[in-house]
Amino acid sequence: VFNQVLVVGGGIAGIQAALDLAEQDLKVFLVEKTPSIGGKMSQLDKTFPTLDCASCILTPKMVAVSRNKNIELLTYSEVRGISGKAGDFHVTVAKKPRYVNFDACTGCNECVMKCPAKVPDEFNMGLGERKAIYIPFPQAVPRKATIDAEHCWRLTPPEKMRKNALERGITLCGVCARVCPPNAIDFSQKEEVVDLNVSSIVIATGLELEDPRRVPEYGYGKHTNVYTHLEFERLLSSTGPTSGEVLRRSDGRHPKRIAFIQCVCSRDLRANFYCSAFCCMASIRQSMLAKEHLPGVDCSVFYMDIRAFGKGYYQFFKRTEEEYGVKYIRGRVARIEEKPDTKNLMLVYEDTRLGSFVKAEFDMVVLAVGIKPSEISPAIPITVSGSKRLESSLPVTLEVEEDRFVKLVNPYLNPVATSVNGIFVAGVAAGAKDVSDSVMQASAAAMKSSIVAKDAKAP
Amino acid sequence: MSAKQTRATSGGRIGPLASITTTGTGLAEEIIELGGKGIRNCYQCGTCTAVCPISEASSANFRKTIKYVQLGLDRKLLGDVTPWLCYYCGDCQASCPRQANPSEIMAAVRRYQTGRYDWTGISSRLIRSKKVELLAIGLLFFLTAGVVWLFHGPVVTSAVRLETFAPIGIVEPVGLAAFAILAALLMSNTFRMYRFIKSSNPDQAGAPRRGPISALRETTSILGSYFLTQFPMSECGARRRWVDHVLMVAGYAVSFLLFVVLLRYTLTDQIYPWTNPLVLAGYFSAFALLYGTSISISRRVRGSDTYSRSARHSTDWMFILLLFFTALTGFMVVLFQYLSMPMYAYVTFTLHLSFVVPLLVLEVPFAKWSHLAYRPFAAYFASLRGMKIPRLRERGVSRV
Repeated sequence: VFNQVLVVGGGIAGIQAALDLAEQDLKVFLVEKTPSIGGKMSQLDKTFPTLDCASCILTPKMVAVSRNKNIELLTYSEVRGISGKAGDFHVTVAKKPRYVNFDACTGCNECVMKCPAKVPDEFNMGLGERKAIYIPFPQAVPRKATIDAEHCWRLTPPEKMRKNALERGITLCGVCARVCPPNAIDFSQKEEVVDLNVSSIVIATGLELEDPRRVPEYGYGKHTNVYTHLEFERLLSSTGPTSGEVLRRSDGRHPKRIAFIQCVCSRDLRANFYCSAFCCMASIRQSMLAKEHLPGVDCSVFYMDIRAFGKGYYQFFKRTEEEYGVKYIRGRVARIEEKPDTKNLMLVYEDTRLGSFVKAEFDMVVLAVGIKPSEISPAIPITVSGSKRLESSLPVTLEVEEDRFVKLVNPYLNPVATSVNGIFVAGVAAGAKDVSDSVMQASAAAMKSSIVAKDAKAP
Repeated sequence: MSAKQTRATSGGRIGPLASITTTGTGLAEEIIELGGKGIRNCYQCGTCTAVCPISEASSANFRKTIKYVQLGLDRKLLGDVTPWLCYYCGDCQASCPRQANPSEIMAAVRRYQTGRYDWTGISSRLIRSKKVELLAIGLLFFLTAGVVWLFHGPVVTSAVRLETFAPIGIVEPVGLAAFAILAALLMSNTFRMYRFIKSSNPDQAGAPRRGPISALRETTSILGSYFLTQFPMSECGARRRWVDHVLMVAGYAVSFLLFVVLLRYTLTDQIYPWTNPLVLAGYFSAFALLYGTSISISRRVRGSDTYSRSARHSTDWMFILLLFFTALTGFMVVLFQYLSMPMYAYVTFTLHLSFVVPLLVLEVPFAKWSHLAYRPFAAYFASLRGMKIPRLRERGVSRV
């Protein structure tokens, strides 16, 4: 218990909190549900407003986490339950089976190259493919292979394959096991449960993109050349599926006219009430990068309000308008229709500064889809503010708001404190925000949780 | 209604916004009172204007109308014809990110304008207070019943003798006089509507202004086609309600002809053969009105589309119910006449008159039914001011 802290979530907020805590000679357990830390920031190409390469500033931090003696990294793991109180929390963490001997794997990629099962790549937002055994991205920490049991032909064989194997009496796939130089593949691995005893906890579970299908008039998933901003980000990225070429899904050509639509699922009473805080700046930056990637491309941003509030943000916004010639059109696109022959998109909107009804053709549409907090409910029992019903009978129950962001009990003077003494929150789990604000809150949460940890008496 | 919507419409978190988007003139509050509850939700994105099939074919801009309300610009709002071009199909609400229900706001603005067009002040009292409306209808109902009770002609119980019960010599002049007064009221209100439109739409340099005749042509003899076919309804998502609406208007027009203009031939004890045009016309109007009103009532009760689901205003309910009962009792009088049931016929005839009087006296010049003049004239006036309005020739508006 003494001097031990748990950080839930290995995105930029969780990484920052873990590093700050470890700096103070506290023992940190960093739990991440995916195979690698890095979170959403690892998928970004550039940051605003300085246009720093996102992985160039994130990767050193990820590596610092893996090298730090005070941090115990539990990736591909989930918090299953928390009990106890500040200074003495008991946490159950389930380590999902990777089917790869963690210590033996050298990350040589041999298995990945030979694996025959192909799966849409989450890291590239489904725009590319990965294998059933995979390392999520080149800079992954830890750089260890993981078998996605759901898609592995050995662990979950397709029905036909299973029958065929039974009839002919042959064994199923297992190519990775045969090619692995250190012989690290282990199909018999089972889930492992660890009990941790910590004095304080930082929740940094982050965000998920809202489903753009909730706004049906934009035809996402139906119209080929309608993208989410994170998909477009992967197109811009040199580590992305097109190596940084912006190409249309329908014909593999460069688009000449790109429309960016703001507030998709945000500030929309049919989806989410709140503003997602970063999408304005993200689209402004993406329109600028698109102009740099494709000279002569026409970029139009459809907005109701441009919220460029941070340091240097407004200057950045004006620069795209004046220097790069990005067009800003005040008005919400009412519907999008796809032209059957060219797969171009007809946008219908009112330009509210002119009061005119417009139909305009674009080659590509990028939706600035809003975000929602990641589900933390299976990890930590929650109760929604105002409701008496507890979602679990476990002793520690975290209060969240109606929109599922963790409730801050003192948002002005202690903007990291949750309803549970000793549990702190950072990043998007506490409310929509961008990278720099997440990092700031993470350091604050690390500070507050270290105070609790250092106060805790040795048993 | 989801929790999010409740929060948005009941103030709550966006409470402080209200004081920014309204100017303290009370205009927004009045529109909310008249049914436009979403006025404070609107963030002026223009989705409603862009999805609306009517605005595609005309210069109507619904967002601007909402802006006038938010800014408290009551003179601009009074001179705005846009609300009269909306037929409440509800397409805007389906796409509205703020769920402000623009079509319900348009309906509320129409109520507001109807109240202000009327110079007597009766209209705004009726529209703003359910109590006053009920009281006025009740008063006229019982007054009419009382007058018939006291002053009816001799009651013949051996056979139905409506001619003696209600002598044509009295009924016809009273009816025509009432018609003249009501028509004069409605036309004077329509003229005030024109004044409002004119004063808030100053001539812009270079804007094409039409003379009255060319404007009339421009609108495909608008008064006629808007009045008879209500065709813009057939071109927007309100198509589902269009048939019932046309039937109700036609039924009303035919019964107006039969029982006001041709009363001396229709208020009779003579039983015409069924092939007589008067009888056929009578059946048509009874069917059209009863069918149209019952469908409309059942839609409102079931809440089958955005239009009928939205909070219905009391003037709307009152009108449709009065029309239904007027048609029903009128039809029953004829029925009892056929069946030779004198007392039943006299009583239902009295009831019929007691429904007709509030329907005509209150609804036509002062409340919902006044839109029979305001809708066509709004289009005509808009055309006079050089605005583009939906035209019959543009039927089948192309939708991308």
